[in-house]
Amino acid sequence: MSTLRELQHDVRDALLGSADATVRGVAADGVAPAARLAVYRHHVLTSLTAALEATFPVVVRLVDQRFFRYACDVYVRAAPPLGPCLFEYGATFPAFLAAFPPCRHLAYLPDVARLEWAMNVALHAEDAGVLTTETARVLPAGTLESARVALHPSVTLLASPWPVDALWRANQPGGDGVVDLDLGAVELQIWRRNDDVVFRALPRPAFAFRRALVDRGTLTTAAAAALGVEPGADLAALVREVLEDEVLLDCTR
Amino acid sequence: MALRSLAGIGLRSPHVEEMLATRPAVGWLEIHAENYMGGGPAVRALERLRSDYPVSVHGVGLSLGSADGLDAGHLERLARLVERLEPALVSEHLSWSTAGGAYLNHLLPLPYTEEALATVTAHVARVQERLRRRILVENPSGYLRFEHSTQEEAHFLAALVRETGCGLLCDVNNIHVTCANLGGEPDEYLGALPADAIGEIHLAGHAINDADGRAILIDDHGSPVAEPVWRLYERALARFGARPTLVEWDTDVPPLPTLLGEAAQAARRLDAVAREEHDVHAA
Repeated sequence: MSTLRELQHDVRDALLGSADATVRGVAADGVAPAARLAVYRHHVLTSLTAALEATFPVVVRLVDQRFFRYACDVYVRAAPPLGPCLFEYGATFPAFLAAFPPCRHLAYLPDVARLEWAMNVALHAEDAGVLTTETARVLPAGTLESARVALHPSVTLLASPWPVDALWRANQPGGDGVVDLDLGAVELQIWRRNDDVVFRALPRPAFAFRRALVDRGTLTTAAAAALGVEPGADLAALVREVLEDEVLLDCTR
Repeated sequence: MALRSLAGIGLRSPHVEEMLATRPAVGWLEIHAENYMGGGPAVRALERLRSDYPVSVHGVGLSLGSADGLDAGHLERLARLVERLEPALVSEHLSWSTAGGAYLNHLLPLPYTEEALATVTAHVARVQERLRRRILVENPSGYLRFEHSTQEEAHFLAALVRETGCGLLCDVNNIHVTCANLGGEPDEYLGALPADAIGEIHLAGHAINDADGRAILIDDHGSPVAEPVWRLYERALARFGARPTLVEWDTDVPPLPTLLGEAAQAARRLDAVAREEHDVHAA
């Protein structure tokens, strides 16, 4: 191992380690090496915590900022970013919260975090053409039914046993934070539409229909999935609505 | 597109809407590359601003000093962004941020050794080859130095210029901060930089914190440019000539007019230098 590589791995371990961690070879020059490293550690932890606060504002409100920062301090050290685009940091934070003992009593918290993560994904997803009612109308007969289609990269489908949509709305600035948890399970679609990130609850057949397309599929297989949860599902309406939502990637061109 | 020696500002998300609505007079805009590597409204807003302002792409995540090597995927994303924006300038930092697969979101210090110079040289060469253009490399703000360094930072940068043909982004605030924290004379630092290689100057505010009972300057980009930094900027202009100058403000981002006011202060100094240069040529 090269000297430089060894040094950088030592600094990495010290920055993600305890407050008094130090590295061999740091000059003191009147300030203890551990105090010099602490300047860097402080920036690493606070800037990454700020990035997570920006991505998960409702979670911050639900647990209060002090607890959130405490949780981030543990999370950042255990799961630092894998790359430099910070809008991609935090994908594993919901699962971390689910396993973090001090907030395990807030059973709905991880799913609220999943909703906020999905909104973050929607905001930053690559731009890509969508299949609209108009573009679908001009396709040759039979093309749409048999073509393999996919959901636009901004779309997430989220099923939760908790009313996370109501929790999110009640915890916006000015909201009273009061939610009846007995509202129960929701199946949400989160996506970007006309530059706005939006979400809405889908009926069960619509959710099943769209989930069948997550890893690409045909509308025929999606229809079968919808009929699986509701034998009387209105298939024409399901196709119409998925086009109206503009969530299908235009793979026909 | 070359960038004239005007004053610019770092484009920050709280200002985007006002910039689009009012299109204030400012020489150019600089963006952080990593904020624009996805899609969505922020990218489209930048596409619109780009028609009215020259743009500089400032990378913070390439980790030119990583002994683990460059992240090829990230370099490709940077290359795609540069192709899309056709910026007047592209810059990065003399630092490292990634080790063992962890990106630490900080411009971390290098020991100034032959080994580090070989590493950074190879990476700058590869980036310039991939982007098919010269990049500028910025001096970092320093809070520690390594005992086994064999060169001064400014000489290390000069050597990097000789080895790769890259340009330099001279951050005057960082020179002030580093010299205060680690010892060193800002004017000697400026004097050791190759003037011809300076393609851009950065200005920003810093904070004064306590570390182990001693004052330490923190390059937090959270306040107006400090008086000693304006003085050092004037001496930098006297040595290098007028250069595109950027005011950065990243924490506690102020109202847009405050930031534009800082840029206007830089612009006045640039104008004075340009007038002197003109007078010299006319004489």
